[in-house]
Amino acid sequence: MNNIDKFNGIFTEVFGVAADALGDGFSKDTVEQWDSVHQLNLVSLAEEAFDIMLDPEDIMAFTSYANAKEIVANQGIEF
Amino acid sequence: MAKWRINNVRIAGVSACVPENVVATEDIDIMTPEEAETFNKTVGIKRRHIADESVCASDMCQKAAEKLLEELGWERDSIDVLIFESVTGDYKTPPTSCLLQDRMGLPDTTFCLDMPMGCCGCLYAITVGSNLLTTGNVKRALLLIGDTALRMGSMKDKSRVPLFGDCGTAVALEYDPSAGEIVVDFHTMGSGYEALMTPHGGFRRPATPESFVEEDFGNGIVRAPIHTMINGMNVFSFAISKPPKSVDKFMADEGIDRNTDVDYFLIHQANKMIVDRVVKKLKLPLDKVPYNLEEYGNLGGASIPSLMVTRLRDRLTAGSCRLLMSSFGLGLSWGTMSATVGPMVIPEVQYI
Repeated sequence: MNNIDKFNGIFTEVFGVAADALGDGFSKDTVEQWDSVHQLNLVSLAEEAFDIMLDPEDIMAFTSYANAKEIVANQGIEF
Repeated sequence: MAKWRINNVRIAGVSACVPENVVATEDIDIMTPEEAETFNKTVGIKRRHIADESVCASDMCQKAAEKLLEELGWERDSIDVLIFESVTGDYKTPPTSCLLQDRMGLPDTTFCLDMPMGCCGCLYAITVGSNLLTTGNVKRALLLIGDTALRMGSMKDKSRVPLFGDCGTAVALEYDPSAGEIVVDFHTMGSGYEALMTPHGGFRRPATPESFVEEDFGNGIVRAPIHTMINGMNVFSFAISKPPKSVDKFMADEGIDRNTDVDYFLIHQANKMIVDRVVKKLKLPLDKVPYNLEEYGNLGGASIPSLMVTRLRDRLTAGSCRLLMSSFGLGLSWGTMSATVGPMVIPEVQYI
């Protein structure tokens, strides 16, 4: 599985949505379910999937699909 | 860099005292049965020992310490250093350690010190106490570590009430040139101080009538500025990121193989979600990570010594073990400590 599929799989698992629902508009402001528990689940799964350890500021900023992708990319993960 | 290698100091014994009163999550009146069930499953704290208002942390620490002194066979006159680590001392002034020197009948030659460092309290107390003993100028130290944290907050705050238990512990240190090395590493992120704080009642914001006015923050959180508060998301993001990174680096720097070189990993028992996450991130062998939060809750600084007493007593009294300890909390602060300990004296859990 390539990295983008792995990344999308995290969101589809946590929010129970199809991959085509994901994109730059998918964020805490537009997704009703996106609370702190869902956010922490996203972080946990991303850390496991890519074997990375995020900083507190990264975890707090994991508030949209686009932000999350950028944060994971900053850890050296190529999409 | 706050890293020490401390030689010549042995952890001679550890003890703990908890209130007899046990409160199950289902008994907490602000929780519905459904909330209690979910809390037990996710946060993992099913019971906690809670003291009545007449019992202070110092009372539990004193009882733990007196039992420990008895089983160690140490004369009170032999104690050179008494450290009381707590955020719930008897009074704002004087230091509770001075009151304990008198109550415990320790000599007037005792060096007394209070430290209010929260959940990292045990590692701070061992670090300071061991550094005082390492030269051999003084030979014996008692570290009394405990809190009654529940009472610091609002009893209408669901984000806080079910988390904490009350406990007092005692750790005995002794100058011993044959002791194994203690290695400890501390970090601080003061920028995150607001994640865990008591906004009013200090000299920055003295208590006024406004300090006692309750506000409803939603999600079952009703509190006033005089109450201690927790910003859950900030605390969680800190606790699952900074401490495991430091433990990972500590093990790499010290050449520690997590699978073969450590007998037990003692992780501050903040809550199950956090401890599980730290364990998973560090890929620690599960059989080497004891938990006691399900029975005692988050005990603040007393968490790590309470693990030794309640979960490792047989092993630590029988022989030598290498422990790797990680704690994190107020400040925000976090620390990692490696120590080869035992055999040591550990009395059964005391009750008050």
